[in-house]
Amino acid sequence: MSSTSGGPGGEALRVEHVAKRFGGVTALADVNLRLDRGEVLGLIGDNGAGKSTLIKILCGFHQPDAGRIFVGGEEVVLKSVDHARTLGVDTVYQDLALVNELSVYHNMFLNRELVRWPLLSNRRMRRLARQHLEDMGVNIPSVEDEVAKLSGGQRQAIAVARSVYSDARILLLDEPLAAMGAKEGALILDLVRDLKARGDVSVIIIAHNYGQILEVCDRINLLQHGTITFDKPTSQTSVQELTDLVVAEYRAARTAKLRPDPSSNARPAPGR
Amino acid sequence: MSRVDPVVEQAVDTLGLNRVTRRRLLGGVGLTSASLAASALLAACTNNDDNKSSDAAATGSGDFPATPKWKFVFVNHVTTNPFFTPTQYGAQDACALLNCEFQWTGSKDSIVAEMVNATNTAISAKADGIALAVVDKDAFNEPVNKALAAGIPVVSYNADGAKDDPGTNRLGYIGQGLYDSGFQLGQRAIASGLDSGEVVGFIATPGALNIQPRIDGASDAIKQSGKSLKFTPVGTNADVTKGLSIIDAYAQGHPNLAGMLAVDAGSTQSVGQVVQKYSMRDKGLKVAGGFDLVPETLNAIKGGSLDYTIDQQPYLQGFLPVLYLYMYKLSGGLVFPSETNTGLLFVTKDNVDPYLQTKTRFEGSSTEQQVVQRSGAIAG
Amino acid sequence: MSDTVDVAARVEPAPAGRPSRGLPRRVGEAFLRRREASVLVVAVALGIYFASASPAFLTQPNLVNIAQATAPAAIIAAGMVLVLVSGEIDLSVAAVFALAPFNMHYLTDYYGVPILLAIVMALAISALIGFINGFITVFFRVPSFVTTLGTAYIVIGIVLTTSHAYPAPIPEAATETIRKVFGASDYAHLIWCLLIVAFFHVLLTRTRWGLHTIAVGGNPLGATEAGIRAGRIKIGNFMMVATLGGFAGILDAFRISTIDPNLGGGFGIMFTAVSAAVIGGTSLAGGSGTVIGAFLGALVLAELQDGMNLIGISANPYFLILGVAIVVSMIANVYLSRLRRAGRT
Repeated sequence: MSSTSGGPGGEALRVEHVAKRFGGVTALADVNLRLDRGEVLGLIGDNGAGKSTLIKILCGFHQPDAGRIFVGGEEVVLKSVDHARTLGVDTVYQDLALVNELSVYHNMFLNRELVRWPLLSNRRMRRLARQHLEDMGVNIPSVEDEVAKLSGGQRQAIAVARSVYSDARILLLDEPLAAMGAKEGALILDLVRDLKARGDVSVIIIAHNYGQILEVCDRINLLQHGTITFDKPTSQTSVQELTDLVVAEYRAARTAKLRPDPSSNARPAPGR
Repeated sequence: MSRVDPVVEQAVDTLGLNRVTRRRLLGGVGLTSASLAASALLAACTNNDDNKSSDAAATGSGDFPATPKWKFVFVNHVTTNPFFTPTQYGAQDACALLNCEFQWTGSKDSIVAEMVNATNTAISAKADGIALAVVDKDAFNEPVNKALAAGIPVVSYNADGAKDDPGTNRLGYIGQGLYDSGFQLGQRAIASGLDSGEVVGFIATPGALNIQPRIDGASDAIKQSGKSLKFTPVGTNADVTKGLSIIDAYAQGHPNLAGMLAVDAGSTQSVGQVVQKYSMRDKGLKVAGGFDLVPETLNAIKGGSLDYTIDQQPYLQGFLPVLYLYMYKLSGGLVFPSETNTGLLFVTKDNVDPYLQTKTRFEGSSTEQQVVQRSGAIAG
Repeated sequence: MSDTVDVAARVEPAPAGRPSRGLPRRVGEAFLRRREASVLVVAVALGIYFASASPAFLTQPNLVNIAQATAPAAIIAAGMVLVLVSGEIDLSVAAVFALAPFNMHYLTDYYGVPILLAIVMALAISALIGFINGFITVFFRVPSFVTTLGTAYIVIGIVLTTSHAYPAPIPEAATETIRKVFGASDYAHLIWCLLIVAFFHVLLTRTRWGLHTIAVGGNPLGATEAGIRAGRIKIGNFMMVATLGGFAGILDAFRISTIDPNLGGGFGIMFTAVSAAVIGGTSLAGGSGTVIGAFLGALVLAELQDGMNLIGISANPYFLILGVAIVVSMIANVYLSRLRRAGRT
């Protein structure tokens, strides 16, 4: 367990033996995960396996019941989302944390607004938002438009741009490709590729479309039974293998049911 | 009278009588027919208002000279309360007589601010006269002054500030003496044989200046009687159904009541119902009385649960203000509105029948114009 | 879906040197784009109608009447808009409206507190009630409709029991100047109203607080995940609307020179304020609203009340016509909004 901080290729984020329970339900039992600098890690697992919970712990929304978290090699206790943000860890959630009724630029600066007290510096924010989106290669017609009018891909892009803009260096993308068609999905993947090219941002992506994430990810982790049961570079795995792994439980349980053999040791997975 | 002059017939038609009454009128003899025919003629003459007012030298109503169609604004505190329906009819009839018009406005829920707004609007609209129910002793002072300063005569009706403090410079008050009526309510209770025990007085909205003086009066009457009576005022509710529950509960909690009084229509009605429900007359209740003539109350009097109720003649409270304001305008202020007590009539089992049997404009239970026949001696 | 290149259609002023071809049209479009345009059109239309129906409508005394009828609802609506935008509602504001002048009276006449301090303390008590509303709604997660319904009845009960349902006089300690400043003079209501509306308009549209209010109402979960303290925003807005309710109550008490315990059911002015906000374009579902629109909505309601009184409509038909007028105004409002939105895309 090396703990080099900083420097290219060093460690961006690591967790050891993280556990989390909600009442009587164990969401995470013993999670060990590592994210290297500049790396894109794909996190997969069946619904309810605890992926979102893990993300929420990584970004400071939940406190783990056990385990340690290391950012850039140094151990930290993430007290809150804001605290995590100051350490450079940020999440782009499934529901995007975008406010439909607000403009693109207001969303870009949500809770980080620029003010000349007590008034908002709208013009400055507009300018900076426009600039930043251009830098990131995101094509938005007008930063004054209400976010509600944009397509799914554009909204996702804005959410990601917002995080990057606020100096996030460890980005956690919670199902960014959900509910998105192929074209929109490609937009996001390009964005992630651009981020990777920058070299200073490390990303964890939760997704179910294995084909898509194999395109951009360097490594894949599988979360099952509250722990990481699979950790391989993308080059050494395939869509088929990943699919098989995820449904293996289900298939085993099903065949056990069909067989009257009581010695079958198929058990329902926790967190299902 | 076998032949009827067509003019008279035409005039009678304007009254909108039912066929029987009409025939009786046209075929009848005597004072009633003649006077009614005369007023019908009056009404017929004054009904063509637009034509009339353009005839410069033409006559106005009756013997009066032609006058513009003056507009009088009635500002009321409970505009949709059925108690004031006869008031509106009275104003309507007076306006028909005198070729005026009136507007009925104010507040639906006794909100003083709304009444002040309505008064101010009447002033801006340059109303020709204002009749105001003064239910607050401070709020209307300024609006009334503004109206008078603008040359608009103002009278108060139904309510006139607090006891001894009308609270405004209105020219006159048309209504029941509030304190006096309460005093008489109490006095009559004593006269009916109330000499010792507990007496309760129910009031829907304590503090409201159109009924609080009544309960003060009743309380004073009982105190001054010197008898060993304990009087307790109890607030019920502006909402009649809630008031009924409160009175019901009180009666249950005080089984030995000697007297139950009420100072507003809703509470009176509820007292009658409660007295009957618990057969309190058999249990030592000596006196039960109240105000106003809602049907329930009248039935209770007929049935014996209530001893008496007081008629404050809301019809006159609409009729007379119009008359006074008209006279003020007509005479340039020489004929001044006078303080008018619209009366305090006790309705008891002996005289309740006509009230029960007829539906009239005067009580608000019918829109028909009609003559109400009566016969026999007039009780004192 | 992009009218992206039509920069000219945006509200930004045209750069100097561009020909004024179509400027009136562009200004017209820019105007209609604003949410408040529809209710302004309705207000103006009503004004024109009543002015033509009654010569007294546009006289100075009557305009003062209209201002005095608009102000209480507009003042409360300014704060109510923020509460509605944040996704909540405050039903208790009418009760606070009635309680505040009574508090001022008790403090001055029973405890000898100087009148100005008494006014401030009465407002502080109103803010406290707002805090309680917000606290219960946020921490116990009781829907604000229920919370404020409860506090409404509690405050109504307090008003009726402490006052014995008797009206109270304005404290003697209130000098002529104080009375005038706080509502008795012709223009006091209007000036206070405009100041408050301007302040809250800026608060909603140009400050972080307003932006966060919109976020909390539009996407409560998202706003929280972005780190916005939704609870604080909501509680703050509840406190503000309650304070405004108390202030409007004090203004009105000075105007009519009496403190009236009669609440007309206890919810009257609250309904007017919420109606004003909704007529003005604020959504009851949260996330969007306009303070200027609420002011115009209150103006529309005041015009209807005053205008109908002027042309002589009596009480019973008044309600019928008021209802019809509100529905017609709202339909016009919605129709104009649709035109506006269609024009945008």
